[in-house]
Amino acid sequence: MRSFQSLFPVLVVAGFFMALSACARMKAIPNLPASHPEALTAGQQVSCAECHEDQQKGTLKSFDAFSHTPAFVKNHRFYASSDDRLCSTCHKSSFCNDCHTNQVEMKPSIKFGNRPDREMPHRGNFMTLHKIEGKLDPASCYRCHGRANNERCITCHR
Amino acid sequence: MKIPIARLLPACFFLTLPVTAFSAEISVDSTSLIRFEQRDVTGSSKQNLVPATQFLGLDADKLVDGNLSLHFYGWGRYDLADKSFTNDVSDGNLTYGYLQYRFNFANADIRAGRFFVHEGIVNEQVDGVSLRSDLPFGFGVSAFGGATVHTSKLPGENSDGKGDGLFGGRASYRYKHMFELGLSGVYEGTAPTLANFTNGTHRLLGGDIWLSPYKMVEFMGHTSYNPVTKGVAEHSYLLNLKPLPGLTLSGEFNEQRFGNYFNSAAFFTKMPVFNPADQSRSTGAVASYVIAKTAEVSADYKHYSRDTGAADRFGADLKLTLLNNMLRSGLGYHYLRADQGFAILGTSSASYHELRLYALYDTKTYVASFDVIDYIFKSKINNEKSAWEASASLGYHIMPDLTASADASYGRNPDYKDDLKGLLRLTYNPTFKSKGEK
Repeated sequence: MRSFQSLFPVLVVAGFFMALSACARMKAIPNLPASHPEALTAGQQVSCAECHEDQQKGTLKSFDAFSHTPAFVKNHRFYASSDDRLCSTCHKSSFCNDCHTNQVEMKPSIKFGNRPDREMPHRGNFMTLHKIEGKLDPASCYRCHGRANNERCITCHR
Repeated sequence: MKIPIARLLPACFFLTLPVTAFSAEISVDSTSLIRFEQRDVTGSSKQNLVPATQFLGLDADKLVDGNLSLHFYGWGRYDLADKSFTNDVSDGNLTYGYLQYRFNFANADIRAGRFFVHEGIVNEQVDGVSLRSDLPFGFGVSAFGGATVHTSKLPGENSDGKGDGLFGGRASYRYKHMFELGLSGVYEGTAPTLANFTNGTHRLLGGDIWLSPYKMVEFMGHTSYNPVTKGVAEHSYLLNLKPLPGLTLSGEFNEQRFGNYFNSAAFFTKMPVFNPADQSRSTGAVASYVIAKTAEVSADYKHYSRDTGAADRFGADLKLTLLNNMLRSGLGYHYLRADQGFAILGTSSASYHELRLYALYDTKTYVASFDVIDYIFKSKINNEKSAWEASASLGYHIMPDLTASADASYGRNPDYKDDLKGLLRLTYNPTFKSKGEK
């Protein structure tokens, strides 16, 4: 106990210098740009690797991983959970909230009925299908309708 | 943080709106919709529905010292004829509204107001404060806290079943371009006691991984643990292989244990098919190939299993992007083969075919599209063999950023013998040029 007491000021000073050093290093860590520097074409699947191949810096992941292939679009939740700051260089938050939100007024596919090329959940007559799909994979319902966005579900499921 | 103070944060957001007048960059996007629908349900009087809905987003960047920004998105609806939903003629929602200060280094930012949090296993909406930053040596940290954003009250209850406050965050470590490990968690206040629903407090802990030892291999996913029920809630993992340019082979595995995963979703515990001891598991594979930026083909397979039974879904999609992106088209076919346990009450099979064909033609002057979807059931539902819907849209670009369009759709399905709907839309979106592909 006594030796710890004598070491304590040394540890505090060491900790202070480590924190100071870390702060100084923080300023050297680069930012992602706030927005994509070049215009991107709406509606076209983006291939990040076209320009960014092997240009990842620091701890950035390979840009090729974020190319919007059909597989990426289907599984984008895995990327958004750790790299939403990269997503936000090209997409506004409202782009995500067209589908993922706390209360929707209408199916996204109705709001964007003029954009059949966009991936949208519940296209067509999902009213009938949800009686099958809900039993098949309830977790897929839960991700959007579990603790939010279930106002319409509650009108029948009560 | 005191919850009442957190509740004031989105309100404070509106007080800052005058500041936007001094901002360097303001962008507004707006979608105005008027829908037309007639409902004629047996036993009820005929209803004419004409709901008018306004979606509005505002982003004011480079405020004050250039690092502060303000973001808002929400919608409001007013019924111009019969009530379209519930007993209110109007409704609305603030999706998000927050101030963000973005530091010049380390991807650090602070947000205050109403916002969404997606960090590892955490997916929440908060009225509160969040901060995050990269740290030296590949570490990263994020934290958030505030008041829970409540939704509609459950039937017969005075609550939506959620606790009033929550906090959480994620700590991560990245090594070069090879891997990332994350630990995340969310802690919500004790859930209210409900009279008609079974409810649990929302608390989760979890770990996530991204691993790419070679550029052509990518493995990622997460596992979450529920400390309230003391059990694993979910495993969800994905493996991507990219052996050739344009070719992606994916495999996924998902498992959710209902008692732990749905514990805090009071509404789900009321479902007739819900059994806390049950679990669902799905494994699947997708192969997709991009051909010279003009065509994408993909084939997928997924196997589902629960106590109720098992099912398999397989199919393929083709997407075409032609005429310098002016023509975008696609078609797809999928078949779900499902055990009797998944069938709708009164039917003998849950299996069905899904067919879809769509095209969109967008010039500088006008835009036109159609979309046809048909679900063909193996066993008739309400004496109907299929549920199909055909929709068409025609629009005119009044200005590059301003488009007026009209949609019409017609269908027939087990719920409606005739399902005819119309919609008028005015879209203003000047953000195509840089941020906000919509």
